[in-house]
Amino acid sequence: MRTAKLGAPRRGFRWARLREDAIRWVTRRHRADGFEATVTRDRVYILPTRQGYLLLATIVVMLVGSINYANNMAFLLTFLIVGIGHNAMWYTHRNLLGLQVRVLPVAPAFAGDAQVLRLRLEETAGRPREALRLQQGQREGSPVHVEAGGTTTIEVALEPRPRGRHGLARQRLFSGHPLGLLVAWTWLTLDTEVLVYPRPIAAGSPLPMAPASTTDGTVTAPAAVPEPDLDGIRAYRPGDAPNRIVWKAVARSGRLLVRETGGGGGPPVWLDWAQVIGPDPEFRLSVLCQAVLTAAAGERPFGLRLPGVELPPAAGPEHRERCLRALALFEAPTS
Amino acid sequence: MIRIGITRASAPPAPLPGLWLLLAALPVAALPHAWEQPLWVILLVLGAVAGRLWIHAQHTRLPAAWVMILLALGAGALTFNHFGTWFGQEAGTALLLVMVALKLLEIRSERDIVVSLLLGYFVVVTTYFFNQSIGIAAYSLVSTWLLTATLLQVHAGRRLPLARLARASGVMLLQALPIMLILFLLFPRLPGPLWGSPERERTAQTGLSERLEPGDIAQLLENEATALRVRFEGPAPASSRQYWRALVMTDFDGRAWRVDHDRPSGAIDRVGGGTDAPIDVTYTATLEPNGARYLPMLEFAAAAPAGAELLGNHQVLRRHRIEQRIQYTGTAQWVIPEPPPLGPTERARALALPEGTAPRTRIQAGLWRTLHGDDDRAIVDAALTLFAAAPFRYTLRAPPLLRDRTDHFLFETQAGYCEHYASAFAVLMRAAGIPARVITGYQGGQWMDTGRYLRLRQADAHAWTEVWLDEQGWIRVDPTAAIAPERIEWGLSGLFDAGMEAPDFLRRSGLAWSAAWRLRLSDWHDLMTYRWEYGVLAFDPERQRELFARFGLDATDWKNVLLALLVTFGGLGLLAAGLAWLLRPRRPQDPAQRALERLSRRLQRLGLARQPHESAPHYAARVGAAHPELASALTAFAEAHTQLRYANLSAIEQAQFAQQLAHTLHIARVYTRWPQRRSAAPCA
Repeated sequence: MRTAKLGAPRRGFRWARLREDAIRWVTRRHRADGFEATVTRDRVYILPTRQGYLLLATIVVMLVGSINYANNMAFLLTFLIVGIGHNAMWYTHRNLLGLQVRVLPVAPAFAGDAQVLRLRLEETAGRPREALRLQQGQREGSPVHVEAGGTTTIEVALEPRPRGRHGLARQRLFSGHPLGLLVAWTWLTLDTEVLVYPRPIAAGSPLPMAPASTTDGTVTAPAAVPEPDLDGIRAYRPGDAPNRIVWKAVARSGRLLVRETGGGGGPPVWLDWAQVIGPDPEFRLSVLCQAVLTAAAGERPFGLRLPGVELPPAAGPEHRERCLRALALFEAPTS
Repeated sequence: MIRIGITRASAPPAPLPGLWLLLAALPVAALPHAWEQPLWVILLVLGAVAGRLWIHAQHTRLPAAWVMILLALGAGALTFNHFGTWFGQEAGTALLLVMVALKLLEIRSERDIVVSLLLGYFVVVTTYFFNQSIGIAAYSLVSTWLLTATLLQVHAGRRLPLARLARASGVMLLQALPIMLILFLLFPRLPGPLWGSPERERTAQTGLSERLEPGDIAQLLENEATALRVRFEGPAPASSRQYWRALVMTDFDGRAWRVDHDRPSGAIDRVGGGTDAPIDVTYTATLEPNGARYLPMLEFAAAAPAGAELLGNHQVLRRHRIEQRIQYTGTAQWVIPEPPPLGPTERARALALPEGTAPRTRIQAGLWRTLHGDDDRAIVDAALTLFAAAPFRYTLRAPPLLRDRTDHFLFETQAGYCEHYASAFAVLMRAAGIPARVITGYQGGQWMDTGRYLRLRQADAHAWTEVWLDEQGWIRVDPTAAIAPERIEWGLSGLFDAGMEAPDFLRRSGLAWSAAWRLRLSDWHDLMTYRWEYGVLAFDPERQRELFARFGLDATDWKNVLLALLVTFGGLGLLAAGLAWLLRPRRPQDPAQRALERLSRRLQRLGLARQPHESAPHYAARVGAAHPELASALTAFAEAHTQLRYANLSAIEQAQFAQQLAHTLHIARVYTRWPQRRSAAPCA
């Protein structure tokens, strides 16, 4: 279902596709999980590992030796190891069974930066779970454990993705506990939004933007960081940055008050797609991304104008996120 | 076994979880080999462990690939030089140990540790080539436990406390035991080896000698090691009847008796029971390895056990030397139907006395012959009467015999034990013209009440004679019974009771507590060994067939085997599932919460189950609004629920509120089940 989202297999392309088809065939009966899932019996798969097959070979050699030498003690030891291996199957299966998994929001990142998928594991069956690992695509996370009745977070680094909004590829929660002879796993189709902002161009350098096209008489000076203007104080509005709260005034008045800068004193800054010099839409987005970051660090409100999208001037972290999201989701007009 | 690759020897090895445990577990697994392997193998294993520890302590690199190749080649050559081969049990085991040792020096990854651990299981199983005692079995459990704990640690993903590892590994081991038992009993057994001969040369086995010279058995008399353990079907015969016949000796050279090697197995000697009542006893015997071929059989063996043959002189010989403990079943019977007469060759052989031996004995025999005429029986009695009276003494510390042994014993020292009397008696008979031969074997023994088996020690070795009487055949005559009847009646301990000097193990009283405890431990150990031998080691295709037959199944039919496996494993699975269900962890829940859930289940019929987020009062209010008849009961319920959960109540108050909960539950039940009675529903 989400084949296209899997990382491209590097080698053995044909095998990878066959494998993918097989997994799809096996998991076709499971519905997509959404935000949370419970590892039920019908979705736990188990197979021997390479070490498991090695032990099997050991057992066969020991058995043949026992038969040949008609050695009852050798029979006993061989069958004891058979018993241990057999019970390991049960242990491994139960190590996964009954876990409740919930996907945590994936923090957005700039293209090329690491993103981590975190799942919340909740143990409700009353037995400790060991050596649980999470895999997504080619990446595997490090093992975690959960105490009986406890919770923990398991994580795996996501494969790097281009700018845009993505879903999650199928995850594989697996464990070889206790003896590593078998691996039990479950395929999770937990989904959450993975947002990748454009990669900002290097900070500090002058932005390749033309000081042009002021349609409504406002100045466009993206690179200039305006001086803070301390003349006005107004009531707090949701979205105002916490560092702009004037605590002394709050203590006096009992109301949340923030410093008013830019709004009245400085005119809003417009960051406009049309201003950016460069033919490549991705490059333009990278420039705008850096511009948004610079502007957000300043005090003046700023607006973002993209073909088909216009975000009116505002300030504060929420506005910053909104702008970055707009950049992430922007579809360049094909012309 | 040794993985040779391009070594990245530039960095010290990364710390691996489980490596320390491996370094402890492997030497433990290899320890029982220390008694069997040449010293250099032991040193190599210890050296490898020490080397690996040193590498970690010094943070140095692992040896480079070429060093490992040289070491492996060197160790292989050393093995070949020592054993002349790389195969077979001893050389193969040595090679295995050497390779495991070298592997320790080049462990780089988790996978290497796992390979070493699997080799460790081999190290444990090869122990059984050399020793199959119950002690080794218990020790292997410890080794397996350690190896499994190491495997657990390797895959734990973090460092686990030792106690937790030990517990987890122990639990896994215990849980594997039922499966082990089922497979052990039901896995199809094949008779005989698949290749080669599994026999292995053993040294230093004790047992009866093929040559009897007075004084020989004395070495065995101090030996308290077990020779034979016997379990009887039915009651055990009296001690005086238990003659365990092993070797028959007809040829006498004047000093020593030699075992008959050239007796055909065809014609069976005629034997007579004398005055004894006939016996018919079936028994199962476990024989300690004796390095010889004889099987001690209760007189007289009706047939030879499998793998052995019954000779004409009632000796039972095995085809191969007995190098391992074996078990066999025998039946003793007294009367041999239609026995042939003594042939002339046999008669001459049983009468032969070397020229010039025992002149005084011959005179004595001649005297009896003239006195009693043709009456052989009377001559036998005369000799026994002679021995029964002074100055003949029975003693375990016989003076040494000089010159002509028989004459010196009969007329000068006149003190000795079974073999002196048996030998002298046989010579006397031959001198009198009565065919005679000497038999060695075991007699007496100790009845182990706890295990209900007879334990015959090497010290119970005994010698007696047989004489040929024309009307009756070969008759057993035990001169010891004449001189020391207590020896025959009560076994060796009878001698001690009669006031003779005896080794500790024959004395049952008057011992220092330490000696008494040692003996008690020895008895206990013998019992455990016996149980182990009889119950476990002796399990073979034959016993498996018997086991299947007990359930009306045929062990040779794979369908029956499959059925048995399915039934037992199915039963085991059900048992395990049942136990897991019984022992499942329950979320602790107070009665109030449980009552709330029950209420929710009841009201579900009205489509009014409690939502997970609803508290008891909210829920009560919601349901009460929909069904006003229930409102007051539900309000009371919510109040009681809140009180029980959050208030600090006395026992009486608790009981009152609990009653309120039950009352509301009852009302809800009536209300939901019988809508026609709603109007009459009692409201609290």
